[in-house]
Amino acid sequence: MNCPLRKEETAHILLDYSAGRLDAAGAGVLERHLENCPDCAAFRMEQTAVWDALDEWRPAPVSIDFNRRLWQRIDAADAAPWYARLFQSIRFAQWQPVLPLTAAILVVAAGFLLDHPADRVSLQAAPAAPSVSVTEADQVEQTLDDIQLLRQLNAEGAGKAKTIPE
Amino acid sequence: MAQGVNTLIGASSAPDLDAQLMLRVRDGDEESFRLLLEKHRNALVHFLYRMVQDEAVSEELSQEVFLRVFRSRGTYEPTAKFTTWLFRIATHLALNWLRDGKNERGQTRLDDDRDGESPAREVADRKPTVEQRMLYQARLREVRSAIALLPEKQRAAVLMHKYEEMEYSQIANVLDCSESAVKSLLFRAYESLRAKLAHMVAGGAR
Repeated sequence: MNCPLRKEETAHILLDYSAGRLDAAGAGVLERHLENCPDCAAFRMEQTAVWDALDEWRPAPVSIDFNRRLWQRIDAADAAPWYARLFQSIRFAQWQPVLPLTAAILVVAAGFLLDHPADRVSLQAAPAAPSVSVTEADQVEQTLDDIQLLRQLNAEGAGKAKTIPE
Repeated sequence: MAQGVNTLIGASSAPDLDAQLMLRVRDGDEESFRLLLEKHRNALVHFLYRMVQDEAVSEELSQEVFLRVFRSRGTYEPTAKFTTWLFRIATHLALNWLRDGKNERGQTRLDDDRDGESPAREVADRKPTVEQRMLYQARLREVRSAIALLPEKQRAAVLMHKYEEMEYSQIANVLDCSESAVKSLLFRAYESLRAKLAHMVAGGAR
């Protein structure tokens, strides 16, 4: 793809020409270019083949009762209560983004709970937790008291030793 | 899609004929709506059919488009071409339908033979032979498959460009993007299609 005309910014000129939508003046200039540019000539040939292939796709005719069914829907919509009309108007699009958002929030919440099992255990086992921690705290407190008492005893012992005359 | 009714972008120009009809619909003239329906029904159903590749769904979505147009008639203002508005609603519904994953049925129906009754070019004055019919169906399947494989916006852009013969600016208004974005979409879409379909040289030789 060497010709700059085939680049994304300018290829619409070739597309328009292949579709027969380029004005006469533009088409004339492009035809002269195509005579000397094999790149663009190949592009044009391939694009024409695509265009012809797309032309072959002819959908089936519309159902003969299309209009009748439409008018039935229009009449039904007109006769429907206000809340039904509101639901109908949001049915196709407006609330659809909410569903994946809700699902995402639920997934994040579930992931958080799964990722923090300790929090759940401590919440569920709340009655048992104090007995364990109280025991440990008592032991620590008792040990600290013992140390304090020992220091006092040592200090008192040392004081007595100083005051007792030899 | 009430939100899109009066807020279409694009330069305001003199109201087109369709817009004038729609203004009459706004004033209570149902006959004008019937005219609009007759005029645009086939193009809209076929556009949606090529988008979703499901006959029943394309008619259901088309009915929804016309229903919305009719129900929005009271607030209609001709701020853009009527067809821009029409195809904007249609594209919006089709893209939603495709993104909802409801297209699984449609994709499985790529093999059905319901569209394009006969290879008209090959059978100008006689019934197609079995071989011709099989060849035509094989080519058709290739085309449908190539279109179905395009990303949704590229698909919509190509269908509007090729079959509705819309200008870049109108496609841009329908897809709510810039004209250069449309050109980029079309460039990439046709590039994919050329890679898949260019071997189908005009005239049916393969």
